[in-house]
Amino acid sequence: MYQGPTYYGRAQLKPSPFNNWVVGGYVFLAGLSGGAALISAIADAVRPIGAAGAVRRGRYLAMLAPLVGPLLLIEDLRTPSRFYNMLRVAKGTSPMSIGTWILMAFSAFAGLGAAAQFASDRLGWLWPRRAARATQVPAAVAGAGLATYTAGLFAATSTPLWAAAPQSLAVRFGASSVAAAGAALSLAERSARTRRALDAITVAALATELAATEASHRSYRRAGVDGALDGAWGQVEKIGATGLGAALPLGLLVASLALGRRAGRLSQAASLATLAGSALLRMSIMGAGDDSARRPEISLRFSQPDNLPRV
Amino acid sequence: MDMHPRALEQSNSQFGGPIPNESELTAGVRIEPGKSYGFFTDTTLCIGCKACEVACKEWNNLPADNLGLTGQSYDNTGALSANTWRHVNFIEKAGVRENDLAPFQSGWLMMSDVCKHCHNAPCLEACPTGALFKTEFDTVVVQQDICNGCGYCVPACPFGVVDLSDLDGKAHKCTLCYDRLKGGLEPACAKSCPTDSIQFGEIGELQQRARERVGELHRLGAEEAYLYGTPGAPGATGDLGHLNAFFLLTDRPETYNLPAAPTRASNRVVPSLFSGLAAVAGLALAAAAMFARR
Repeated sequence: MYQGPTYYGRAQLKPSPFNNWVVGGYVFLAGLSGGAALISAIADAVRPIGAAGAVRRGRYLAMLAPLVGPLLLIEDLRTPSRFYNMLRVAKGTSPMSIGTWILMAFSAFAGLGAAAQFASDRLGWLWPRRAARATQVPAAVAGAGLATYTAGLFAATSTPLWAAAPQSLAVRFGASSVAAAGAALSLAERSARTRRALDAITVAALATELAATEASHRSYRRAGVDGALDGAWGQVEKIGATGLGAALPLGLLVASLALGRRAGRLSQAASLATLAGSALLRMSIMGAGDDSARRPEISLRFSQPDNLPRV
Repeated sequence: MDMHPRALEQSNSQFGGPIPNESELTAGVRIEPGKSYGFFTDTTLCIGCKACEVACKEWNNLPADNLGLTGQSYDNTGALSANTWRHVNFIEKAGVRENDLAPFQSGWLMMSDVCKHCHNAPCLEACPTGALFKTEFDTVVVQQDICNGCGYCVPACPFGVVDLSDLDGKAHKCTLCYDRLKGGLEPACAKSCPTDSIQFGEIGELQQRARERVGELHRLGAEEAYLYGTPGAPGATGDLGHLNAFFLLTDRPETYNLPAAPTRASNRVVPSLFSGLAAVAGLALAAAAMFARR
């Protein structure tokens, strides 16, 4: 903990001006959509006939980010009428610029895939099915980017809690996205065999998320910013996102997979908890990050020479 | 300070128009595109008059932030913001007795804070619209006709300088008087500073002058004097490069609400994205294995 002087306890940094419900909601939907595109592409490649339902629902679920995401992002701008200025440059140093172009690419491929799926569902033609199959690979690649770039966006700031664990935060966001997509697809799945596969994917993703959470908390302690998680948002992160939103569903899913066919309710409860936990993770990281920027004893501790990257 | 010979040409009290290259007369430097300009703020000369704050607000037409009293010494401004681009800090060091001090020393520190115009500016690197840019004078400026108020530059800044305005929904900060530099004028704060605590000039020359000033202070017995933001010094850490607005301080940086070792935020982009994508790729392989199972 930092013991040195502060300037009347005034903030040394400015917290992000983002509306955490709006932007956090976008980050959650982006992860859910990216994960859905990824899982549906893999399901179609590995089990094209048996998992056709999950593939179809994944392609439709992937449309959440393209349809709702831009509205949320434009809503959060202070000058929304100039949203198109996001498209006048492409900058590798700005994850917000990288993310803009990832969202554009994802929207194009996922949109084509969903449209082709819709055409083949309604008209029974064969060629749209081939079109959907052609677009799902670039959609899955862009979806992986969509699920993770938001962590890079937070890490590439001076907000202590976000900057203290750039790598494990991205693993948490990516794994939480895959878990949320697996949970959402599992909720709607009718085939018991495909549901078990989806639940197993969620188990792997939740386990990865929990391991990355532990790594994050270790980095926070090492950098001296763990005090940022003492507040209300920190409790949401620990109890809501990690406990009830990741550890609990992980346990429920393992039990449901062990019990076999009779454990549908268990899987449903776990899926709902996973989705809520994935949303809470983004909101709580944003809220606790803003807390860390407002508290000078945390930001001044973070910017001590011992936290400089080793060259 | 010596008078510039050109000053003798200006004998009238009224001018018909701006004096060409006026900065030569007021700051001893000619402003030319392609060179680096900045501020050297020598806090040992600051008397806390806030002329810089007033001159900045007047020239840039900025409204007041706070009309009340904070109770924090003479600092009723509080912090740099969208409407306040110069901010004078007042630090009354507790437990310092006048009788124990060397002559002309006091336990009262004052420092005029400003945007640092970092060499590798995190706000500029974060800006997704290209509204923030490096000018021909090596300063960092927000183009108000481009900014869409996304606010990403605000948490990117390691000094808490950039801010969004509630009045117009754009990001604002010190422009190092970009308009004045274009017209050959010294920035308003530096020109108004009555003690030359704020010095404007070409960055190499300023750094040289600052090093000499530190040497002079050390000779006079103020051994705690050091530079903040010059190459290799505190403030110019973590790949930020040097700061075009740098300071001479006499206490540790945190006393002035400055970070001891700020870092360049964009250096975290690649490690973060790479780890996240690697984890998702691993989970994709796991997913393929789950679907392939009988």
